Amino acid sequence: MRYVLIDRFLELERGERARAVKCVTRGEPFVGDAYPSALVLEALLQTGGVLARSGSGFKSMSVLGKVERATFPAEAHPGDKIELDVRATMSRPEGTLCEGVATVEGKIVGEAEFLIVFLPAELAPPPDPDVAEHRRNLMQALAIPLEEV
Amino acid sequence: MDDQEIFTKVQKCVADALGRDEDEVQMDKALQRDLEAESIDYLDITFQLEKVFGITIEKDELFPQKIFQDEAFVRDGVVTEQGLNFLKEKLPFADLADFHEDPKVTRVPDLFTVGLLCNYVKMKLSSA
Repeated sequence: MRYVLIDRFLELERGERARAVKCVTRGEPFVGDAYPSALVLEALLQTGGVLARSGSGFKSMSVLGKVERATFPAEAHPGDKIELDVRATMSRPEGTLCEGVATVEGKIVGEAEFLIVFLPAELAPPPDPDVAEHRRNLMQALAIPLEEV
Repeated sequence: MDDQEIFTKVQKCVADALGRDEDEVQMDKALQRDLEAESIDYLDITFQLEKVFGITIEKDELFPQKIFQDEAFVRDGVVTEQGLNFLKEKLPFADLADFHEDPKVTRVPDLFTVGLLCNYVKMKLSSA
């Protein structure tokens, strides 16, 4: 994961639902007048990844399996706070099916259904230290013990 | 639920998971060879079947990941009698008649047809 697109978690019901926030700034790479829809999707996927892993006590690494559908009815712009709300609709030992909605002040800017898949430990890539640090900070805010993450 | 109803629902599950038209998904079509299913699609199909039929599919029950771990099951690229027996036990819902005629291990993926999924669902529903 090259870019972490979650600024803060608001809520995490392990394996059930996660709510997070992404604030859009003009200083980010690739951000012009509108925030790219692909990054709205990525923010939902990252939220879903943490949600899926939380269901197994953060014991496995996760990757995106597939995006079943994604729509972007409106755009987000610099200065907007994107709220990301992702629910796990079904879970299995191999992965989790998620539905996510991204909104800005109640207006939907992205909706997606996607599949997060767990990687066997031996196939998991070594963690990026910067991303790992960011993830630890995010989890600390949710009072999740650091040794789990 | 009768066979036609099971097929219609399985057809939709597979079509949705693989992004195919429903009429492309017929009983004799192999998921990988004919419908170009990739590994992740098998998990997607599993989710769809659980959702649509309200069944629980244990890990490796429908799509076992490593069928022939025992060396005695395959010799020179051909599934041995022992391997065939194991296959029957592992996949009681598979029609092995054709496969038995030419049991090359490379033909194992072709066993996973839309018809196999229908048989599996029928077996699960009847045991529920």
